[in-house]
Amino acid sequence: MRRKASFFVILILLLSPLLGNVAFAQVQVRVRVMEASNVGSGFDSSLRDLHDQLGSLFSFSSYRLLKDETVSLSLNHPVSLPIPPERSLELTLIDQHRVTAEIRVKITRGGKELLTTLVRLAPGRSVSIGGPKRAEGTIITALSRPKTTQE
Amino acid sequence: MKSRCSSISELLDKYFDQEVTPEERSLVEDHLPSCPACRSALLSMENLRNLIKSPVEEAVERENFPWVWEKIERGIQQEEKPGLWESLWSWLDMISLRQKKILIPAVAAVVILILITAPLLYEKISSYPDLSVVEYVESDTYNVMIYEREAPRVTVIWLFEGPEEEPLTS
Repeated sequence: MRRKASFFVILILLLSPLLGNVAFAQVQVRVRVMEASNVGSGFDSSLRDLHDQLGSLFSFSSYRLLKDETVSLSLNHPVSLPIPPERSLELTLIDQHRVTAEIRVKITRGGKELLTTLVRLAPGRSVSIGGPKRAEGTIITALSRPKTTQE
Repeated sequence: MKSRCSSISELLDKYFDQEVTPEERSLVEDHLPSCPACRSALLSMENLRNLIKSPVEEAVERENFPWVWEKIERGIQQEEKPGLWESLWSWLDMISLRQKKILIPAVAAVVILILITAPLLYEKISSYPDLSVVEYVESDTYNVMIYEREAPRVTVIWLFEGPEEEPLTS
């Protein structure tokens, strides 16, 4: 009997890292909204990481930060925040597998759905959503997960 | 006399093989000078032994049996090596780890080591390392395009909000 109990204790201890994986922690997502344009040049220092990425794909000369907010997502609890221009961004943590979070992203304008997407974000990765055009530039909304988070 | 000779002749084999007691030896040796038959019998035994022994000893001296040693060495080399598990257990036996006093702390140490290293190993293995980060995109209102580049890793979902709008790609 004691031997069996010891075996199960050891088994549980061995499986504990896997069980920990099943438990959902909060996921931090950084939302940065910027205006990319060819008017002037330069970029905000808080956009340095994105500038390197987007610079390899687009030829905008200027990136101006309009909003920078970090939200904590819990499983199946949507979090909404207003983003320029007059839109709403809704983020929902759908699933989490190890370090990668599956997040549903909805962009609405006046209650009308403009975009729905499901993205997988690992720490250090980012997904940018381009559009719409505004004045001389284009609005880009970047979603990213910090590499060092206390999730 | 005849009965004495008969009893002595029974001892001759033992005498020849040097298996007689001192008393029996005295009896045989006292009898032999006076009995030609027993002397003859003893001589026949010696001749027979020499007949067998000499050729065998000569053959052994000529032969050093190298093939025998080669065969033994080959047999040792070809002997199946013990499996990993057997080796481990024999090692455990050697250091008496099977004793509970040592085995339990050893198992506990291994478990602790696994518990410490397992999460680190799991962290190293990304869930979807090479797959796209965009699972799906839907827009009932506008056209949507996905730009992805691996180096540097860039993923952009472009929402075309008007027919005239185009992204400024390099």
